[in-house]
Amino acid sequence: MASATRAPQSPLEKRYARLGVLLIAPTVLTMCAVIIYPLVSALYLSLFSIYTPTLKGHWVGADNYIRVFGSREFWSALGVTATWTVGTLAAQIVLGVGMALLLNQNILFRSLARSLVLFPYFVSTVVAVLIWRWLFNDLYGILSHLLIAAGIIAVPIDWLGKMPNAMESLIAVGAWKFFPFVVIAVLARLQTIPEQLYEAATIDGAGPFGRFFDVTLPQLREVLTIVILLRTIWDFKEFDLIYLLTGGGPVNNTRTLPLIVYQQAFGLNQMGMAATYAVAMMLVMLVFMLIYLYRARRAAL
Amino acid sequence: MRASRQQKSILVNLVTWALVLVISFPLIWMVVTSLRPQTELFQIPPTIIPRSVTFEHYAKLLEETPFLRYFMNSMVLATATTVVVIAIGTLGAYSLVRFSYRGRETLAAMVLFTYLLPSVVLIIPLYLMMVKLGLANTLTSLVIAYTTFALPYALWLLRSFMAGVPEDLESAALVDGASRMGAFFDVILPQALPGIISTALFTFILSWNEYLYALVMVNSDEVRPLTTGVMNMLITSFNIEWSLLMAASVMMSIPLIIIFAFLQSYLTRGFGAGGVKG
Repeated sequence: MASATRAPQSPLEKRYARLGVLLIAPTVLTMCAVIIYPLVSALYLSLFSIYTPTLKGHWVGADNYIRVFGSREFWSALGVTATWTVGTLAAQIVLGVGMALLLNQNILFRSLARSLVLFPYFVSTVVAVLIWRWLFNDLYGILSHLLIAAGIIAVPIDWLGKMPNAMESLIAVGAWKFFPFVVIAVLARLQTIPEQLYEAATIDGAGPFGRFFDVTLPQLREVLTIVILLRTIWDFKEFDLIYLLTGGGPVNNTRTLPLIVYQQAFGLNQMGMAATYAVAMMLVMLVFMLIYLYRARRAAL
Repeated sequence: MRASRQQKSILVNLVTWALVLVISFPLIWMVVTSLRPQTELFQIPPTIIPRSVTFEHYAKLLEETPFLRYFMNSMVLATATTVVVIAIGTLGAYSLVRFSYRGRETLAAMVLFTYLLPSVVLIIPLYLMMVKLGLANTLTSLVIAYTTFALPYALWLLRSFMAGVPEDLESAALVDGASRMGAFFDVILPQALPGIISTALFTFILSWNEYLYALVMVNSDEVRPLTTGVMNMLITSFNIEWSLLMAASVMMSIPLIIIFAFLQSYLTRGFGAGGVKG
């Protein structure tokens, strides 16, 4: 049997290959049913005009696409999505790298500090939004009161009801919720940087900032690229947080592409148009998805 | 030299802990609000430390709202999704790691691609599918919908955990006359168990926290999970009872805290293996 395993294309090898296919079969079948079929279906639906309550519709061909790409809604939502993604991502990276550097030091009760920092990431978005809406409350919200007590502001702030406050609040809550992902990834990488690199840099006369820019940052480049790609993809498609916190308001100023898809399908009852928006959104995302796929595949080999 | 190093260490400690407290303040505020009597809630300016502590909101939550039913629905939903996904995913990941056949690499790439797919793209066809199958408004429809994000995620994690099991162990079992599946159950499964457990816990968290599918696929209180259920309590109540909502938020987070305690040691490995989806 041992010799048979070494010989390629033996009957045993073929039997193993069959077993491998058998083991992956449930996965493939499930993925075809719940992912591939719906994906193809979305492409197909995007060529129809369908009324949601009756699910009756007719073929319109490329009309939906012409309407979507010709509409102000799409481009303004794309702009909002980009603002949200770039804003919250930048905040996550700065906060995440900073916090990881601090948590990599010798801190009292370090594992407790780490757990506390990580928790926002694991808490449900619904819970996060409820808490923040309570913090942002116009009458009893603690945030305005703390800022008044500190003498920073004179009257309570309307955090979510007007622009640009609503977008800034959204970005802040997004950063709070998702920065732990950056912390964990960076922290894991920091622990593998050899101490000698820092000793060498110190001997060469580098100060703390010099050591950060000459040693730490280059070592973090690889992991930061992956983290930025992943978070760009995830922030771009974020629905729950934005829908629950502002609902896209005030006056559609925080309405991102995923919100439009939902609104078209279940608010305006235009299933076909919704599918078109979804496909258009995916086309934009595809650039980042392909770069990530390429990098992740290369790293796996 | 030593004094200045000590000063620096104290400074780093202070800055770090100040930041940690600012970051966890919203969570602390959630707990404090849930324990505060209603009368203390509506005072201006609010006080940080409550003057008295009460559990009336928790009692009200359990007795007067459908919270417990939502909680049970979420439990059933998250458990069922986890069991299904881990059962399928473990076999699938084993196949991807240890067998060679045509199309394997393409499959692995597909798994990674679907791991990145936005649910908002799949939600319309999935909704139509559930309506056609007569599954709309059931927990089953949600279990099926949740596999769309949970299965690629679990596969991706399990794949890296299983790749970490030394191949020699398996070969040794095969030499000793074990069948391929026998070796899987006797060698791979026990070796990869920590990875499987942490994948299961991560999957449970994902399903426990899911909102969009639950919003679209389910609209009766009988089958509503916590995420949409608690939000519904906020929208339908005439005047918003924040202490009640904060109590609900605390209760909703308890399973996560328990899992979190278990996950501590696996956390970094799980993240390293492809991250937690979010």
